[in-house]
Amino acid sequence: MNAQVKRPVAPSASSPLNKEQVLAHLAEPSTPNAAAGDAMIEVHGLSKLYNGVAALSDVTLSVGKGEFVTLLGPSGSGKSTLLNLISGMTTPTSGTILINGTDATTLPTNQRGLGMVFQNYALMPHMTVFQNIAFPLQVRKVGKDEIRQRVMDVLKLIQLEHVAARRPRELSGGQQQRISLARCIVYNPPLILMDEPLGALDKKLREGMQLEIKRLHADLGVTMLYVTHDQDEALTMSDRIVLMRGGKIEQQGTPETLYFKPETVFSADFIGSSNLFPGKLVEGECGLVLRCAAGTFEVPGAEGAFPAGSTAVLLVRPENIAVETPGDASGRQQIEATLKDTVVLGGIVRHFLETPAGEQIIAQELNQPNRSRLMRGDAVKVSWRVADGRLLPAERA
Amino acid sequence: MTRPLRIAAVFFVPVVAWACYLFLLLPSVIVFPISFGTGGEFEFPPRALSLGLYQQFFTDAAWWGAMMQSLMIALMTALATTVLGLPAAYALQRARLSGAGLINGFIMGPLLVPVIVLGLGLYLQFAPWNLLNRDISLFLSHTMLAVPFMMISVGASLRHLDPTLENAALIMGASKPAIFFKVVLPQLKAGIAAGALFAFLISFDEVIVAYFVTGPETQTLPVKMYSAMRWELSPVIAAASTLVTVFSILLAIGIMMLQRKEEQR
Repeated sequence: MNAQVKRPVAPSASSPLNKEQVLAHLAEPSTPNAAAGDAMIEVHGLSKLYNGVAALSDVTLSVGKGEFVTLLGPSGSGKSTLLNLISGMTTPTSGTILINGTDATTLPTNQRGLGMVFQNYALMPHMTVFQNIAFPLQVRKVGKDEIRQRVMDVLKLIQLEHVAARRPRELSGGQQQRISLARCIVYNPPLILMDEPLGALDKKLREGMQLEIKRLHADLGVTMLYVTHDQDEALTMSDRIVLMRGGKIEQQGTPETLYFKPETVFSADFIGSSNLFPGKLVEGECGLVLRCAAGTFEVPGAEGAFPAGSTAVLLVRPENIAVETPGDASGRQQIEATLKDTVVLGGIVRHFLETPAGEQIIAQELNQPNRSRLMRGDAVKVSWRVADGRLLPAERA
Repeated sequence: MTRPLRIAAVFFVPVVAWACYLFLLLPSVIVFPISFGTGGEFEFPPRALSLGLYQQFFTDAAWWGAMMQSLMIALMTALATTVLGLPAAYALQRARLSGAGLINGFIMGPLLVPVIVLGLGLYLQFAPWNLLNRDISLFLSHTMLAVPFMMISVGASLRHLDPTLENAALIMGASKPAIFFKVVLPQLKAGIAAGALFAFLISFDEVIVAYFVTGPETQTLPVKMYSAMRWELSPVIAAASTLVTVFSILLAIGIMMLQRKEEQR
């Protein structure tokens, strides 16, 4: 439905470059090639079949210069296939790929001038750290003195000058991945591809590396295309997230857009946790209401997209649901529920509730020293502001 | 396990194992003292120790000439095996060839055919081409016998080699030859060296095929030893056996050390 809708590059507060791109996009929104000069990657109608099965089908995507775009999706969604097509490791069944304004659809991998960071670091075990970082420069026939200078510069940038003479296996996973990053940025590729680069690191290290990659992105102004299945990573790092599903783009936009304005049940479910109430829209006393298993709910303005009689799903994020309605109940949808369990996750508290009809509801609030303690099995009234709900089309079967 | 069984396991099994080991080892070991004997016949134990048999070995051109011939053929076989086996192993592992299994089976074939059959076949093949009693026929036969061992050795190293390293080098802009020589080859060094030593050893030890395709001028050391047993019964053969055994053991130790180095990676 909206998989091929080309959206303008979303603005990002952190990078002024992106705002210019947005303006360029907005100037001539109807011609897709108008922004070719500003696009690092232009992918058109790209498909890849493996033995007749589509790993990627008819994907059109544009990545602006200097943008940090994340391909997010479960395994088998086509995100790695798309990355491999852009790197040239695989050839597309149909469609075109433009990199930095030139047609790269059939260009050999080693002539695309890209950088790539792999999940398993892919450092050469028989070379020292210095030799590893020098390798792409030697390939480019850079002079010896310049190689020494540039390698030491990037080692300084990642604060690992002291390991230059060591072998990769003598380093920790986090250090190895930083060396792998250094090996990439040393030859200034205009585009860096990252294939789950932090997947092999533990949580704490991963968070540190996320910030380091973001810092490098901001400092170098390089375009980054990042593949992950980790929604938190995507939300933390990206200017724009491209959510993929079954070889197609499900939705793309800024992290805020994907979180607050998901357009499909899949998007809502994949990013953040969600309460979903499937039901049927019927004419109520004042406008449409959703009739579902848990009751009949008021719905936010549906803007004509959902006619009466159609099936739809109401999304309410857990943090928008209050257990025990605050004093002013106007504009709120309220329902009865039983508390099944409460889990304290440090700074936040999560309540698991069940409606009389047996539907599960998750509510989330900030942990406070003076919050009211509820007992398991308590009958409570939960509520949310009608405007905080979001109506989504029912999933295709 | 019951107590008597445990006692049996602790004491009986090592005793049997050592007995078998000695049974296999003794025939090779017994030539060792004999080779230091004197005089013109086999003596065990030798009545006096001397290096006389070794002196005979190195002064008789028929003996040390055969050894030089063996060393030269083995060296050439090792080189040819590396040049042929390394690219073949790499291609079979990396390139998605149709019929790769068939090609692999074809190259590994000599391992499965009885050597006596191979020897006869090669004899019948080389005879009409007038290649018998020539170095080239021996070199070709031994290369054919040794290539499978190079393939196995390099193949084992290749399986340890992460293909993403080659992909990473490709994305960094390296050409295919540069990737082979700078990324792949340095990591296969130990496997190649082990394969080459294997090839050397196989050629150096081989007697059956060599017996078929060599003549008086191209005789290798094992063939010379075999004919010495039949026609001369000279005790110099004990010195020759000792030399071959020591040399083979040294090469085998070399291979083991290379394989251990490989495992430590």
